Amino acid sequence: MKKDGLLNVVLGGYVVLVFLFIFAPIFFSIVFSFNSQRFPTIPLGEFSTEWYVKILDDPDILEAALNSLIVSFSTAILATLLGFCTAYSDFRYNFRFKGPYLALILLPPTIPLIIMALAMLAWFSKIGISGQLWSIVFAHSVLTAPFAMAIIRLRLNQMDPDLESAAWNLGGTEWATMRHVIFPFCKPAIISAMCLTAAVSFDEFAVSWFVSGLNKTIPVVILEIVQGNIDPQVNAIGTFVFLISITLVVLAQVFFIGRQHKKSSS
Amino acid sequence: MPIIVWQLAFFVGPVLFMVAMSFFLVKNYRMTEAFEFVNWAKMFSKGYFWSSYWHTVWIATISTLCAMCLAFPAAFALAFKASENTRRWAIFFLIIPFFTSYLVRTFSWFVILSESGVVNAILGTVGLGPYTMLNTHIGTLVGYMTLTLPLVVILQTVTMANIDRTLIEAARNLGCKPLAVIWRVILPLSKAGFIIAAVFCFILSFGDFVAPFYLGGSQEPTLPILILDTTKSGQQWPRAAVIAVVMMATLFTLAFTAIAIAYRKRSTS
Amino acid sequence: MTKNLVVFDKIHKSFGNFVAVEEMNFDIKEGEFIAIMGPSGCGKTTTLRMLAGLDAPSSGEILINDQVMNDVKPHERDTPLVWQSLALFPFLTARENVEFGLKMRGVEKAERKKRALNWLDKLGILEFQDRDISTLSGGQKQRVALARSLVMEPKMLLLDEPLSALDAHLVIRMQSVLTQLQKELGITFVYVTHSQSEAFAMADRVVIMSKGEIAQIGSPRDIYREPANQFVAEFVGRNNILSGTVESVEHNRAKLNTPSGDFFVEVKAGQLTERDSASFVISADLVHLSAGEPDSKNTVACQLISEEFVGSMVTLFLENASGHEFKVQMQERELSKLELDLAKPIWLSWSECSAHVLGC
Repeated sequence: MKKDGLLNVVLGGYVVLVFLFIFAPIFFSIVFSFNSQRFPTIPLGEFSTEWYVKILDDPDILEAALNSLIVSFSTAILATLLGFCTAYSDFRYNFRFKGPYLALILLPPTIPLIIMALAMLAWFSKIGISGQLWSIVFAHSVLTAPFAMAIIRLRLNQMDPDLESAAWNLGGTEWATMRHVIFPFCKPAIISAMCLTAAVSFDEFAVSWFVSGLNKTIPVVILEIVQGNIDPQVNAIGTFVFLISITLVVLAQVFFIGRQHKKSSS
Repeated sequence: MPIIVWQLAFFVGPVLFMVAMSFFLVKNYRMTEAFEFVNWAKMFSKGYFWSSYWHTVWIATISTLCAMCLAFPAAFALAFKASENTRRWAIFFLIIPFFTSYLVRTFSWFVILSESGVVNAILGTVGLGPYTMLNTHIGTLVGYMTLTLPLVVILQTVTMANIDRTLIEAARNLGCKPLAVIWRVILPLSKAGFIIAAVFCFILSFGDFVAPFYLGGSQEPTLPILILDTTKSGQQWPRAAVIAVVMMATLFTLAFTAIAIAYRKRSTS
Repeated sequence: MTKNLVVFDKIHKSFGNFVAVEEMNFDIKEGEFIAIMGPSGCGKTTTLRMLAGLDAPSSGEILINDQVMNDVKPHERDTPLVWQSLALFPFLTARENVEFGLKMRGVEKAERKKRALNWLDKLGILEFQDRDISTLSGGQKQRVALARSLVMEPKMLLLDEPLSALDAHLVIRMQSVLTQLQKELGITFVYVTHSQSEAFAMADRVVIMSKGEIAQIGSPRDIYREPANQFVAEFVGRNNILSGTVESVEHNRAKLNTPSGDFFVEVKAGQLTERDSASFVISADLVHLSAGEPDSKNTVACQLISEEFVGSMVTLFLENASGHEFKVQMQERELSKLELDLAKPIWLSWSECSAHVLGC
């Protein structure tokens, strides 16, 4: 019993260490973004917001931020639409080439991004849509659709399969059933899927870097700043990026888990 | 089905085109469509290609082993010692880094690990160091862990949390010692989940260029860095395509073998 | 003569290689309460789903109101179903659930609300109208599901094991709610169940199905007293079945040799001839007990194996010398009046006319 207690303490401590390792870079990035020194080190210099002022004055960064927002928003909508259609067709229908069909949608994340980046770049220049914001959106929609599909499919798993038949039985056409039953049931999952795909798209750099051309997004700008020199601006941008990503992820989780009990009594 | 068209246009299309591109020719800095094995022959005859290939395989393997071993005690604690609620929160927190900028986190490590960085400052107070960690394999590995550790911990935790507790109690009841329970009951039961975690970890490390480039100093370039160099500097896209195809072939072979092993059923005795 | 509301004409349904329903011919009259009963996998739910248009028959025709329904889509039919899982929409309130069908039919909002509230009131759940489905109890959900179907004012209501999820005491309550509703509304109820007590308690007619085929159709009394075949006799339960060969037939009276002895049964003219093999049943509640050998032709000496009490009824399980099991059911009060010594052999006997010969 006593030995077990010690083991638990050691294991608990270890878990804390692992979490420290995982969150250390995020933590220090935020800390150093408020540090006045040019080269971030310990002991810290004075508290300062100069890096924030600097990035807010930089038109290139602001433009990249706008690009990033457009890309991630469009990606979220496209990828979630793709994910929803795939998830629903998997839930509802059984057909002969379902295996290959699902593989087609779920496979992209298993291919390293650098390879996808090269392939997308080559293909987009071949068919002549390279170097635009839309090229990033197309690429990202393919890369993030599997996440949307997984989330929505999980939600559909929780649905009583009779629900759909019940709606037809009560006079709902296929479309009305989709609108009044399937869609409301999946709504929390659809919102989480949009948040998560937006977050992934917002942070993705390899593919964006290759296909973006002159329309840089935030991660591409970071990549270019980081190349070569140490610039605490990155920490400031990074803090913004974290804030946006974490907000999206938290929103996604809130919608996915927290919506079970909304109106508990009248 | 419009989805199929979409995926064909923006997923299958690019990948197949890249495979085709590896047979194209480059003349006067312009790519011409052809079907020649020149790029393949060129790449395969280069010593640096092969050394880079084995280096990448090796470091991705090390990274996978590290991640699996480092993650196990934590996943074990989360799966068996923590309450359901704690576990859910832990997984929630482990998902966060997955969706936050890997690039910024890597840059942050760059600052933390540098010779006048946080780690050396802390070690300095107890009279150690300074150590050089950047531009070494340690740097690369730290980067890989940043990328893979959260995912591996999640996959291992979920796998072990799903084990039927009565099986473990049955083993204890039959006189199995605690360590033997891990070895003889828990690990065999989590085989499939662990293999999948390892495969994902390998794929991520194998294909990542940020960690070896910024934290490892790219003295020994990995394949992703080679792709980067060949694409961004010279107009040698076909050669980059050769590397990419080789990488994909390696990963697919590995993934299929691993999945075959993970889900193998003993049908005959 | 009441009109046929539904006609099943040579209906056959298979899923791949599995035959769910085979050669089904029967009809449902207007305003009757019909129960379809059978063990799981007998095709009873498939039959109901075909009525609602959720499964299409592989061959044959289903007519509702003399109209062939095979190609009519589920949402174009007036056949609301009460689901085993209830299938209430979890993201809607109780009232919104009831309104759903009306909304799909394009009924205007105020009218919808009025009709929904009317039904919620009729079923005694008006106070829960704005509650989320997940906060309601099993019985309340049951009533919402009923209201949701009945608000459509259908000519026929389909029910698929609607009471299977309820506690025993609620089942009895809901049974009387259902029979009363059916009488009041005068509409047809098609009720699928695996429970004999539910079917027999409520239905005017019972259809017993086995392996995709109809084993017997009849009133609960007919099925109980005169099961058509061995399957029905066994499925209905609490029956004693004896099989043997016919030794002789004279004056509507046959003598059978069975391993448990020779017995006489009443037969219709020409029903059995000599050397036929035949089976007959005696309901467990029609068997008499005595301590000494009675003055009767149909008697068996048995040893008591076990007793089972359900309320005031007792069922005795006995076995004779050749190992055949007999069941005897009676009021506990009557059993104690007999003052039997349960350790000694007990004599079972029955009158010739209570034995019922089974078809093959």
